[in-house]
Amino acid sequence: MAEYTKPIPSPDPVSQPFWDGAKEGKLMLPRCDDCNRVHWYPRVICPFCHSMNIEWVEATGKGTIHTFAVQHNKGLVARGWGDEVPYVSAYIDLAEGDRMLTVLKGVDPNDPESIEIGGAVQIEFEEASEDVHIPFWRPV
Amino acid sequence: MPGEASMSAAIIGAAEANDIGYPQTPKSSLTLHIEAINNVCEMTGIPIKAIDGIFSAGWSPQIAEYLGLHPKYIDTTAVGGCSFEMHVHHALAAIHAGVIDVALVTHGEMGFSQRFTGGKGTGRPFGGGDPWDPGTQHTSAYGLGGAPTSYSHALNRHMARYGTTQEDFAEIAVVTREWATLNPRAVMYRKAGEGDLPPLEKGEWGGGKRGHTFGGPITVDTVMNSRPISWPIKLLDVCLVTDHGGAVLITGPELAKTSKTPPVWIAGAGESISHWNMLEMGEFTKTSASRSAAAAYKMAGMGPEDMEMAMIYDSFTVTAGITAEMLGLAPEGEGFRLWKDRHAAPGGRLPINTNGGGLSFNHSGMYGMQLLVEAYRQLSGTAEDGGFSGDPGKQTSARSCVVNGTGGSLSTTGTLVLVSDD
Repeated sequence: MAEYTKPIPSPDPVSQPFWDGAKEGKLMLPRCDDCNRVHWYPRVICPFCHSMNIEWVEATGKGTIHTFAVQHNKGLVARGWGDEVPYVSAYIDLAEGDRMLTVLKGVDPNDPESIEIGGAVQIEFEEASEDVHIPFWRPV
Repeated sequence: MPGEASMSAAIIGAAEANDIGYPQTPKSSLTLHIEAINNVCEMTGIPIKAIDGIFSAGWSPQIAEYLGLHPKYIDTTAVGGCSFEMHVHHALAAIHAGVIDVALVTHGEMGFSQRFTGGKGTGRPFGGGDPWDPGTQHTSAYGLGGAPTSYSHALNRHMARYGTTQEDFAEIAVVTREWATLNPRAVMYRKAGEGDLPPLEKGEWGGGKRGHTFGGPITVDTVMNSRPISWPIKLLDVCLVTDHGGAVLITGPELAKTSKTPPVWIAGAGESISHWNMLEMGEFTKTSASRSAAAAYKMAGMGPEDMEMAMIYDSFTVTAGITAEMLGLAPEGEGFRLWKDRHAAPGGRLPINTNGGGLSFNHSGMYGMQLLVEAYRQLSGTAEDGGFSGDPGKQTSARSCVVNGTGGSLSTTGTLVLVSDD
């Protein structure tokens, strides 16, 4: 595998089930056992009803684009990403609820008008290291 | 009916450091603080030793120690550029409660000069986030860094939701620049090399009366043709990066009478937060300013229709446009019209960002203090004779002003309703 030069997240005990799922290509999300709502990022308490009964569920990996931007400035983005400008960052509304930040694959950063807010996207995972597979999204 | 704390304290003076903008010689953030504090105390005639409450974005213990003060109230609220509006809110509460008599709100930030010192002198070098912090862990992989890389998502969402355009927001930059051309302290006051003004020499950054290579009036085309930073944000949608120091003193009515400069009363104050990491923002076209403004208006017993000017944090054109909507100064989706229809412009019915804004006057990283200094200058009349800096800049006859700071990634807001004595 070619060396992954961009930032690699550090899983912590709270988020570990998500990263375990990512290694298997599954989107695992925390869901409150009391109010039944999914939240992101992972917490030990439900941000909606403040129950601490959180379980992990496998999600569909489907979502829609809430909004996006095209990153042009090398100096403003993290190490590794500077070599990839222009690239498209986006916030994804998950089919199960709540929202993720990502980078969109399979879009043309030089033609932002061709990218549709509200458009459907599907998750995929890229192996950044043995332990960490990073979620990205792609229009379907 | 106004709230109990309304008008129980006033800003009795506001001053800046001796060199703001692009100083030729770097001064530390601490020095910028101290110069501003000394200037505001000289201006008001209130001695430094009378200060018994210190409010700053992270610096209060250092300021107290440096000045040999032993304050009774120490507040270091640091939640981005709106921290200073929150400090005024907190100072009002502390004075109203009788805990302190003289509150100092202070700011010093070498946003520009730190590039020549390798970060030395900033006092608070910004490190990366804790890798386990959820905001860091679930966003760092995607490389977003500087503020423009986030705020652009809000602008795109606004355009999609309301049908607004990049040109609409460019109008905000154009009108704000127009104000800067009336303010000799503004970095973009005029263009170097134009008329009798010699061009900048190599290594000279200019600004203010010296002129700036890209200073002076601009048009919508200038903004649209500036280079893309984070589409749909372009260079001229983005604030400056400068040095600044500023300080204001706040007291109750009795001490206010002893000041050499007039009081500007705190009629209302409020603060709120919608998120810290933009990941948690919810609706990208709204900020917590709707809540902080509601609290401030309620305390003041006033509403947006009573405001004769506004100082609105303009880290980006989108910040100003959205905030105008949240403050009730324009309908949702139409904030930009205040500028496009020239209500916010010189001579308009609601002057906004009369100093030239963070876009064209000065933005050191946190701009909330600059908002306070300008609101005080306009409402107190001290700008007529140039105040302590000697540069006149009385632009309005306004007697009321809504001030709104925005911090983080459109995360935190502090709103003040300020009124002059008559």
